[in-house]
Amino acid sequence: MKGSVIIATAAIGALAVAGCGSSGGSSASGGSSSSPKSCVASIGMEGPLTGPVAVLGQEQLHFAQLALSMDNKANKTKISIVQGDTQLTPSIATTVTQQFTSNSKIVAVVGPAGSQEVEAIGPLMGRAGLAFMSGSATNATLTTGKYPTFFRVVSNDSVQGPQDAHYIISHLHPKSLMIVDDQEAYSTGLVSAMVPVFTAAGIKVDHESVSQKLTDFSSLVAKVTPATTVVVLPWQVASNAQQFGRNLAQQHKNAVIFGTDGLYSPGTFTISGSYVSSFGPDIRAIPADASIVAAASAKYPSFGTFGPPTFAATHVIDEAIAAVCKAGQTPSRSNVLAAIKKTNEPTSILGQPISFSSHGELVNGKFFLFKIDSAGKYHLIPG
Amino acid sequence: MSLDAQPPAAGPGPPAAGPGPAAAGPQLGADEWVARQEHRREYLPSWLGSAQRRLERAGWWPRLAVAGLAGAALPLIGLGGFQLQVGIDALVIALLAVGLNIVVGWAGLLDLGYVAFFGFGAYGFALLSSSQIGANGIHLPAYLSLPIVMIGAAILGLLVGLPSRRLIGDYLAIITLFFGEAFVELTNNLPASFRLGGPNGIVGIDPIRGFGHQLASNTGYYYLLVILLVATMAVLRLLDTSRTGRAWRAVREDPLAAAAMTIPVNRVKLMAFAFGAMVAALAGTIFAAQQISVFPTDFDTPILILIYAGLILGGTGSIAGAATGALVIMVIYDGLLRSPTDSGYLFYGLILLTLLVKLRPWRRLAAVIAATVALGFAVHAIAGAISASAVAGGPASTGWLGAALRHWVIVPANPTVPGNWGFVLLVCLLIALVQVKGRRRTILLVPALYLAAFVWETRLAAEPAITRQLMIGAILIVMMNARPQGLLGARRVEALT
Amino acid sequence: MAFFFQELVNGLTTGALYALVALGFSMVYGVLKLLNFAHGDLYMVGAFIGYFVIQWFGGPSALSIPVPLVLLFMFVLAAGVVGGLGVATERFAYRPLRDAPRIAPLITAIGISFFLENAAQLLFGAQFRVYNTSQFISFSSGIQIGSVSIDSVQIMVLVLGIVLMIGLRQLVNRTKLGKQMRAVAADREAAEMLGINVNFTISATFFLGSALAGVAGVMGGLLFNQVTPTIGFLVGLKAFTAAVVGGIGSLPGAMLGGLLIGLAESFITGYVSSTYTNLLVFALLIVVMLVRPSGLLGRAQLQKV
Repeated sequence: MKGSVIIATAAIGALAVAGCGSSGGSSASGGSSSSPKSCVASIGMEGPLTGPVAVLGQEQLHFAQLALSMDNKANKTKISIVQGDTQLTPSIATTVTQQFTSNSKIVAVVGPAGSQEVEAIGPLMGRAGLAFMSGSATNATLTTGKYPTFFRVVSNDSVQGPQDAHYIISHLHPKSLMIVDDQEAYSTGLVSAMVPVFTAAGIKVDHESVSQKLTDFSSLVAKVTPATTVVVLPWQVASNAQQFGRNLAQQHKNAVIFGTDGLYSPGTFTISGSYVSSFGPDIRAIPADASIVAAASAKYPSFGTFGPPTFAATHVIDEAIAAVCKAGQTPSRSNVLAAIKKTNEPTSILGQPISFSSHGELVNGKFFLFKIDSAGKYHLIPG
Repeated sequence: MSLDAQPPAAGPGPPAAGPGPAAAGPQLGADEWVARQEHRREYLPSWLGSAQRRLERAGWWPRLAVAGLAGAALPLIGLGGFQLQVGIDALVIALLAVGLNIVVGWAGLLDLGYVAFFGFGAYGFALLSSSQIGANGIHLPAYLSLPIVMIGAAILGLLVGLPSRRLIGDYLAIITLFFGEAFVELTNNLPASFRLGGPNGIVGIDPIRGFGHQLASNTGYYYLLVILLVATMAVLRLLDTSRTGRAWRAVREDPLAAAAMTIPVNRVKLMAFAFGAMVAALAGTIFAAQQISVFPTDFDTPILILIYAGLILGGTGSIAGAATGALVIMVIYDGLLRSPTDSGYLFYGLILLTLLVKLRPWRRLAAVIAATVALGFAVHAIAGAISASAVAGGPASTGWLGAALRHWVIVPANPTVPGNWGFVLLVCLLIALVQVKGRRRTILLVPALYLAAFVWETRLAAEPAITRQLMIGAILIVMMNARPQGLLGARRVEALT
Repeated sequence: MAFFFQELVNGLTTGALYALVALGFSMVYGVLKLLNFAHGDLYMVGAFIGYFVIQWFGGPSALSIPVPLVLLFMFVLAAGVVGGLGVATERFAYRPLRDAPRIAPLITAIGISFFLENAAQLLFGAQFRVYNTSQFISFSSGIQIGSVSIDSVQIMVLVLGIVLMIGLRQLVNRTKLGKQMRAVAADREAAEMLGINVNFTISATFFLGSALAGVAGVMGGLLFNQVTPTIGFLVGLKAFTAAVVGGIGSLPGAMLGGLLIGLAESFITGYVSSTYTNLLVFALLIVVMLVRPSGLLGRAQLQKV
């Protein structure tokens, strides 16, 4: 008994030493001393991969992996991805970020998903000189220059909020409306951008607030009065909005739902007559994206609004790394950061060109408006 | 007389063992049966137990000093940035577990809202030492804000403990649960006039600063936490061996009897809450300073679960146990399991370790391992012969492990669906393994082992984030089954009404 | 007034759901004094089973067999499988800890909860699975009284909930198994000495309690449409609260607690504030507990010295 335990412990110790040796030191896969022309690098991906919003993080991860495999094939690079699960909690994001900054092979990071996480890790990333690009952190204060290595491929709340609010006022003419936030930073940011516009136009605003984890809205829907013609839902989880719409129909209420980009999910949110704003046209409608859509749909039949921007972000980083390699250098954090800053893609999966301001903001980010017809299809509203 | 480990007695009631080493005959004021329980501490099995007994003879304070020095020496050996962060996280949770031990382990009060005191400490420090309040903010140095926050937390602990006058046990748990929920909801949803930042939290918190110096690097915070943990453990040890500690234990075991012995039960319970809150607030302030920002979601249920897991795994009621359990859990969960290669080593290593410890004699162990290896190669060859796509994929593990397993484990070209079925089958097999006994169990082990490797390589290793949670869940279940009283805990004889 | 009735209906329906889950929770607590934090995840497994049954029969818009049959199948299968899962967890994880201090199984339950949630995500993915109830039970098939609409799904949930609760009461009070359960709950050792097969009784209790959670899961799926691996957590929390507020170990108390929570949620959202609903519901429950420290229908515990 004693002997077996001693041997067992020795075995575990040997394994651990071997493990530390191979994981801390040089990589065992993709040997660094292979052909000098091959471009080998690692990028990190931070997102809520488990937990209540795993649906968003897993979609982002899948699209990041898809972008990576397509770019590796096209550019003949050997970039690999390292996952980090943040569970949308800033303190966990700090630990994951430390993991990435300590890993010298990681030259750039895709993510994180939440604006709070960006606030928590921004200084850390800046100190490490590690570029990080988010496809979903839309708080306007993130690109005021505080975080020199932060980039994003979607426009921010202070563009989307007022734009949507003005559209509602001028085209939907509500006398009173209900706006519900889901107690996340994304949502409250949009609400605080929109409510002043509504009150200035003399509309009666009923501001409600529910937890993102709530799945039953019948009590809330009962509060929708006959005079309330518009309900604004700046939510992240499209499925919740779909349930809200079902509750509306069930209780025979006539309000129209207006959603922001979090609701843009053609497979999930299909309430007829609703409006949804998004930072890009549906990638399913863009002919150039056909192969991507096919590859994505094969594994992920219903994807929404979080995958394509992450694809775009990963693609930008891949191209930056490829450019560095083509210039004959080994990818490192500083030259990849410089290459990202020079990004100028005429078009992207999102149907828009991508280039960044000096603070990392997407240049000329626009928002598009869609209306859902009775068959659940999204139609782009021109203008 | 040595207390060599015996298998834990299955039933409640006095175990049939000899008297402990110190009870030399009847003593005045000591019930003999009670005295036997006192000395009948369960040591860890075999050589670990003898090591434990030898260490115990050294005394509590020298052990604490050695542990503290070892902890302080770790960064000198060389810790990377990530490992330092894991260390800091682990130390914070250890401090919290030690504090929770006061409430749960010593006073026996189930406090499900403990993480709210942690949050209170963090937010308190954030408000006092950042630009949040007023035009330029209050920027109190640490030696002022820490005591203020701790005293505030103590008062809060007293308030939360007030219902304990009327409510006991699980009923009290609900109140504390409410408090925990309330904290997260209020910090998230209160309007901006409260200056709590809402979901955007408070950013730009000052580092720990005082007397002209400030802690700028993670190494500094690590050392600070080691010092604070050792100091807290020392203070609590003094408390434990004092009248207050004995009063807490008396209230935990039997409040009515304690009251009959003139212990002020209500006051004792309130003190437990207050002390626990103070320790949590201390941990919170360091946390806030190190993270430089606080958000409501930082103080939600997942952290509470980690603290409880650490406390109970380490042994409720024991200061060293609380700290050890928390450190072990955090190093595994936050450190090892975040790296896919280390997770693989942990997975295979734990399986091998369990086999080595549980399968005796040698011949049986050798037979099982040989059979598994043979089965693997056979299955791989047969599957390869039948269909090429059945073995087309490669194992998800990288490095030498993947190379070694390449011809042993079958990994189909599309691993997802077979992997899922394998997973379900594996869980069923594990449940079956627990039920059968003897030779049937040995035989069933062989395919189970192969199936485990199969599931790991096809499915689990490909989803590191999910696997991490699965493994921590499995580790919790298995460790509690193996040692319900925790690593360093004592088996208590609990009389249930 | 119509608003009041609408909120009343909503509250009763969700309350019935919570009551069922709380019942199962309370049953397990009664016999084992175990706070089973994995109970909510059994609810989640039941919801997934219901979803897969719908998919198996063609999907919500093209069911190949009549709707009542599908519903029956969903409920029976969910009850059976989740009940079995409950029994398995008891044998695998809780039985060895039967004589350990009460706090030990807490961690095992948490471990099982982690395991179930993440196994569900591993096997089924994180995307939201949708029942789409309105496609096979249309909204117009309910009752409409003035401007108060009661969906047929809500009616079914209420009726089924009441039937199950009454059935369980009868089982516990009138049958032999019920008597055995009460005996084991009162004093396990004495029950063993009286010849009751304690292991079987505990397994049966777990089966029943978990089956109730599974049925509640299907009901939840029909009502709320969305199924994802993490829906169990909130429901489990509310069930725990309901069981405690109603008086731990008291089955009618658990039912009452569940209904109370459902109604409180509904009315507070409607009349007071949706932002602080959770907080205010909890505050209300705290007040209830302070007024009645052993829960609504709990008995004051006799403490032996």
